[in-house]
Amino acid sequence: MFDTLRPLWPLILRYRWHYVIGSLCIIASQALKLQIPRFFWGTLGELKQAGDLPAAEARELILWASIWILASALLIAPIRTASRILILGSSRRLSADLLADVFERMLALAPSFYTRNPTGQVMSRAINDREYVRSLGGAVFMYMAETGVLYAITVPLMLLIDWQLALMALAPYPIFLVLARRIALRIQTLSRAAQNALGEISEKVDESLSGQMVIKTLNLEDADLERFRLRSEHYRALNLSVTKWRALLISLMMGLALLSTLLVLGVGGSRVVSGDLDFGEFGVLLTYLAWLAVPTRTLGFVISSLRRGTSAFERLREILDHDLELFHTETGTEHEVRGGSLRVQNLSVTFPALVDEPRLAGSEVQDHVGSERDVPRRVLDDVSFEVPAGTTTAIVGHTGSGKSVLARVLARQLEVDPGAVFIDDQDLTEVPLDVLRAQIGYVPQDAFLFSEPLHDNVALGNPDATEAEVLAALEGAQFAEDLDQLPEGLRTLVGERGVNLSGGQRQRTALARVLLLSPRLLILDDTLSAVDTRTSEAILEHLRPFAAERTTILIAHRLSSVAHADQILVLEEGRVVERGNHEELLALDGRYASTWRLQERSAHDAERAARLEAELADLPAPGADPEATS
Amino acid sequence: MSAREVPPKDEHRVAFDATIARRLWVYLAPHQRWVWISFGLLLFTSVLGLAQPFLMKLALDRYVAPTPEYAGDGSLDGFGWLLVVMFACALGELLGRAIQTYTLTLGGQNALLDLRLAVFRHLQRLSSSFFDRTPIGRLIGRVTTDIESLNEMFASGVVTILGDLVNMLAILGILFWMDWRLTLISLVAAPVLVLTTLWIRGRVRLAYQTMVTKRSAMNAYLHEQSAGMPLVQAFRREDRTRAAFDAINADLCEAQLGTVWWESVLSALTDMLSSVTMALILWYGGGLALKGLGMSELQADLAGAVTLGTLVAFLQYMDRFFGPLNELSLKYTVMQSAMTAAARIFGLLDQTAVTPEPDQPATPGPAAGAIRFEGVTFGYGEGTPVIHDLSFEVAPGERVAFVGATGAGKSTLLKLLTRLYDVDAGRITLDGFDVRELGVKDLRTRIGIVPQDVFLFSGNILENIRLGHPEITEDVARAAARDLHLERITDRLPGGLMEPVRERGSNLSSGERQLIAFARVLAVAPPVLALDEATSNVDSEMEHLLQEAVARVMQGRTSLIIAHRLSTIRDVDRIVVMHKGRLVEEGTHDELMAKRGFFWRLHQLQYAGSEDGGDA
Repeated sequence: MFDTLRPLWPLILRYRWHYVIGSLCIIASQALKLQIPRFFWGTLGELKQAGDLPAAEARELILWASIWILASALLIAPIRTASRILILGSSRRLSADLLADVFERMLALAPSFYTRNPTGQVMSRAINDREYVRSLGGAVFMYMAETGVLYAITVPLMLLIDWQLALMALAPYPIFLVLARRIALRIQTLSRAAQNALGEISEKVDESLSGQMVIKTLNLEDADLERFRLRSEHYRALNLSVTKWRALLISLMMGLALLSTLLVLGVGGSRVVSGDLDFGEFGVLLTYLAWLAVPTRTLGFVISSLRRGTSAFERLREILDHDLELFHTETGTEHEVRGGSLRVQNLSVTFPALVDEPRLAGSEVQDHVGSERDVPRRVLDDVSFEVPAGTTTAIVGHTGSGKSVLARVLARQLEVDPGAVFIDDQDLTEVPLDVLRAQIGYVPQDAFLFSEPLHDNVALGNPDATEAEVLAALEGAQFAEDLDQLPEGLRTLVGERGVNLSGGQRQRTALARVLLLSPRLLILDDTLSAVDTRTSEAILEHLRPFAAERTTILIAHRLSSVAHADQILVLEEGRVVERGNHEELLALDGRYASTWRLQERSAHDAERAARLEAELADLPAPGADPEATS
Repeated sequence: MSAREVPPKDEHRVAFDATIARRLWVYLAPHQRWVWISFGLLLFTSVLGLAQPFLMKLALDRYVAPTPEYAGDGSLDGFGWLLVVMFACALGELLGRAIQTYTLTLGGQNALLDLRLAVFRHLQRLSSSFFDRTPIGRLIGRVTTDIESLNEMFASGVVTILGDLVNMLAILGILFWMDWRLTLISLVAAPVLVLTTLWIRGRVRLAYQTMVTKRSAMNAYLHEQSAGMPLVQAFRREDRTRAAFDAINADLCEAQLGTVWWESVLSALTDMLSSVTMALILWYGGGLALKGLGMSELQADLAGAVTLGTLVAFLQYMDRFFGPLNELSLKYTVMQSAMTAAARIFGLLDQTAVTPEPDQPATPGPAAGAIRFEGVTFGYGEGTPVIHDLSFEVAPGERVAFVGATGAGKSTLLKLLTRLYDVDAGRITLDGFDVRELGVKDLRTRIGIVPQDVFLFSGNILENIRLGHPEITEDVARAAARDLHLERITDRLPGGLMEPVRERGSNLSSGERQLIAFARVLAVAPPVLALDEATSNVDSEMEHLLQEAVARVMQGRTSLIIAHRLSTIRDVDRIVVMHKGRLVEEGTHDELMAKRGFFWRLHQLQYAGSEDGGDA
């Protein structure tokens, strides 16, 4: 366990003085607190013998003892507060630092990390697991320090007062602690099961309400209620067993205190009578024993926190120690991207079997059943081509032909072996990521928008862009008309918490983002898939002068949008099977040509369908009499 | 991530509401015996608990530090017995408390199970229009989070708050009886400290609220950034993202330190209260004890003095008094949130948007399946109706297809027929009876519906065929599956018909799910089939299987089909063409095609280019 937690040390050391002073405060407050029963019972002991004392002296004794108790109490309060603020506060700071470290790592992790691991998994580490780790440096530390100091002071004192009696009273502790630990673990397991059961209830309600129409029409209410009842009853049963075990644990702990108290009362009482034990010391023993039993009540919580904290930290380390994946080989020379020519030389990419890929535990492998994805797959096979600076190369192929992977490799989103891809004759892996990213404009198919104003989303790469520049970029992406429909124009909040833009609108926003930066190398990975044909033609038309000055990689499904490219590569199962320009490929009469013909025809059909649809929509809503319109 | 919704402003913020309590009692009443047992045990353990300090006093005054009347003989005869009694009391208290906690939880859990089922049953009865305007997420909260708040009320012992109060009153009584002046003096510090504690608790709560807000801000930020991280990197926005993150993180940390601060003060203060009380008892009580030295118990009592034993008992009673007192404000908060939750739950239960059932449902004989729509008008909520004054008739055994462009109102017909929604004007009859006169269940049993998106439950395929109809034997279900050649899809699955269906049938295609729904209809054998064909593309084998299934299921049934497939339209007796909520044409396929009217154009539109599906 401690090995696992070792990387936590540097963080803890940052707050070492907080912890040291906090611990000193704990020692001080415990030591003071343990004096209080000595004053109280000591005075009672003196009073018992008070026959020998003059009344005034006894009165003074009482007064001073009371003052000492009051003074201790008043002194303990700020010290105790300080110890808690220091230690619990440090744990909060530590947790914030830990989150900052996690976030720093997240900033550096390769894009492929995020495609492999669902956001939920990353979030649950950054939030839930971090909370568990925090409790190690906070509540758990506090408990261990307080309990440790309490036992360290009390036990020797008790042994000093009457070692035989103290040993007898403390004898049952070890046995009880072992038992308590077992019960605590059982409670932890049951609680987790109960939590899951509640999750199942929640899922069930979701399922039933989403399907309420179907359930009603099929008369499935009773069957559905039965399923809900089963889950609810399961949850109830788990809750009840948690309660049962909790009650048992508390009874055990109270029983422990009870046993030792009665032992001291009986044996110690007789010794007081026989004069072997001072009455005051007898009382101190009684009080200390009662106090020693208190921490055992929360023992279960501490044990489970320790376990949870350790495994949570292991899960956090999955992110903190995760491979960055994108490596940059330092060469010492200055790198620059000027023209943006690309050369791909015998590029092969093999995806490891999905199950072997490094991913966060709990990120389920999708479609696991009967999937051939359990074996390594070669997604790009010996691909070579050249893209002279300022030209446009289109890549076409079926879904799964590897064209997106190729785009991601060129955009430096996926790691690639050295010696396969060159930009301006420099190996891609030797150019610093920063330099590359400044000159590559990559627009993926799924356009993500941040919950920020549209303006900021477009100005993502250049926050200093003027409004005119942002508008120009939006215009280039044919977004100008849509802008009028947004309630607050450029200031409209978009993204998850804002106005829900359509897929096509999102894609065009993403395109505008890149246009604003005017990078040397433009990579459009099926960027306009959700944009209707007419608009996408307009965009491509508009892009042409822009693209003429840049190196452009264009990936598309619609062949009509790639026909103008200087070079077209047809990919199939990771291999380039045809290459050339549009005319050459048509002349070749291969796959490209046949797909082209097919698409031409369906485009024709679609056009006809659109015309009919428009015609239909224009028809007046007919009257109730069907004869009236026909 | 807690996605807890922010309660609307006008919601209950009271700790106790008699109406709500009475309504909660309805659910608790059937399990009240557990609650009473728990109360009984609470009183029992309280008495045992109250006896212990007094027994301690006896032990001290008679044996350990005997007063004059017990001193002298030094005999310890009774001491052993006293210890036995003390042990019995403490053990009784301990066990009593354990059983009391358990019985209370049992009663609570049983009541909450009933409540949960009642809420679920009510949700089932609510009409579909209710779900059109209420987000599901909020309703899930009613069944889970809100009921958990009520559970917290049982778990934290709020229900026994009355017992706590009785116990505290009893302790006060004993203290006053033992020595009223000492009692008053010991309690001198209490009001100040208790009020301070209450005030600090208020601060703790405020600090928590702030913290929760900041935490959700952090969660939302993290969620979005981790989703958009590749973009952050590609657009080299790391520095600005880091700065924004640091600001939110610092903000959150500060809010958390606020809670730590107030909680630390609170915990120290609670601790201080008992020490200060001890000092006061020693100071004033010590004087009284000094006065009573050498007096017998009775003498001391008369002289207004106390014995050492009384002093110790006093201290122990005080501890037992302050314990529950400190928890009171905590319990108040729990009670407050429980009441808020209960108000929300009852608010849902008060929703009356249920499909009305006739008082005396008509009981027609075995259905023939004659359906009439008479001047039906209907709209979802406000705005223009989606069905305008629609009338048509379907004879028993007739197969009718409904076609029309998207939004023509075809699917709505089926929802009206099965009373997911009720007509605004006109009426719909089944075998001459208005559908609103039939029992809802009876009506829906007479109509076998196959929706566009078939909903499957977790369980295996066979169970899904028999779902909701325990009277269907496994053989019948298997026969239905065989009739529709379900084996063509189940043979591919390792479990065959026993293959588990994943959540909402996600491991089956929509065509496969429809095929299972057809088998369901075939097994149940209702007189009317209402089918909303799936629009999604299916491969040619599935297309063929579905065609066969439709033909087989339509046999001998009145069939209403929302048609999307050419083949189905050709097989029916009559086609009804709808446009914008009205009927525009009807007739056989050939008649309508010959007419070259609306249907013909629709046909052109829908089936243009449907022969290929080419994809580059």
